[in-house]
Amino acid sequence: MTLMKATSVALLAISVAGCDVPKQNKTVDNFIDSKHLSQLKAGIWVDPNGCDHWIIDDGVEGYLSARMDQNGKPVCSGVAQPNTATGGYKSGSPVGDVI
Amino acid sequence: MSKSHLKIVVLAAFGISIASASFAGSANLTTSKSSKSERYVPTIWVDPDGCEHWVMDDGAEGYMTPHVTRDGIPVCRRGNTCAVMNSDQLFAVDKWHVSAANRTRLKAFFNDSGASVYLIDGHTDSDASDAYNMRLSKNRAMAIASIAQSVGAKAQARWYGERVPVASNSTRAGKSKNRRVEIQCIR
Repeated sequence: MTLMKATSVALLAISVAGCDVPKQNKTVDNFIDSKHLSQLKAGIWVDPNGCDHWIIDDGVEGYLSARMDQNGKPVCSGVAQPNTATGGYKSGSPVGDVI
Repeated sequence: MSKSHLKIVVLAAFGISIASASFAGSANLTTSKSSKSERYVPTIWVDPDGCEHWVMDDGAEGYMTPHVTRDGIPVCRRGNTCAVMNSDQLFAVDKWHVSAANRTRLKAFFNDSGASVYLIDGHTDSDASDAYNMRLSKNRAMAIASIAQSVGAKAQARWYGERVPVASNSTRAGKSKNRRVEIQCIR
């Protein structure tokens, strides 16, 4: 069942992504969870030093970027323990992680 | 000397001439490798704090990095600043002691604001030396942070001396504006 699901997702991906291969427009997600990238939903990953990073698990893509204050220094909010992720970082895409 | 060796020397000399023509810290060199480069045009994702990040989806890969100016300052559509306190109302000239009345006022602020962490940024005007102002703003920011911590709030002090003015230091009014403690409320 899982294999069938994965196969159908892969087939659908090929058919959808077929419009832009090799992918020229890097500003959109063309997969079945298609959207403009400004719509991504982030959570917080806390690095081993205790500082925050925006983490986004968007189906097959993953994004990580530093959380900084307006002066460019890291934000270390203590929202979670080091080496943990918190918040709705998997909420922006219905596509699960196959592997 | 082989031909390829010579080419490297010539390229290096060319690089030095470009670098010295532009101002320090932000030389914009276009290397001879540019002919092999691929087009990667990002879009912008705005984080929940209001700051911009460059983002690209390259099929099965995703890439993201903060959008900062060449000086390393994040590009933000809004900040988390929730209070700007004029230093003249908090401290005596060149001092960082906080009066009992101000201490009470600040405790109430930290009790009511409900942030997960407070970033306390100390700033001064441009009177006296840079080093003196860094020290003064550090002591003042740390004094405020310890008041936050005394009511159980998480707070981190940062200090910028005279390096991040918000007004001109050539007028009295501008200087007064620059003498400040900014508080960022991180939710």
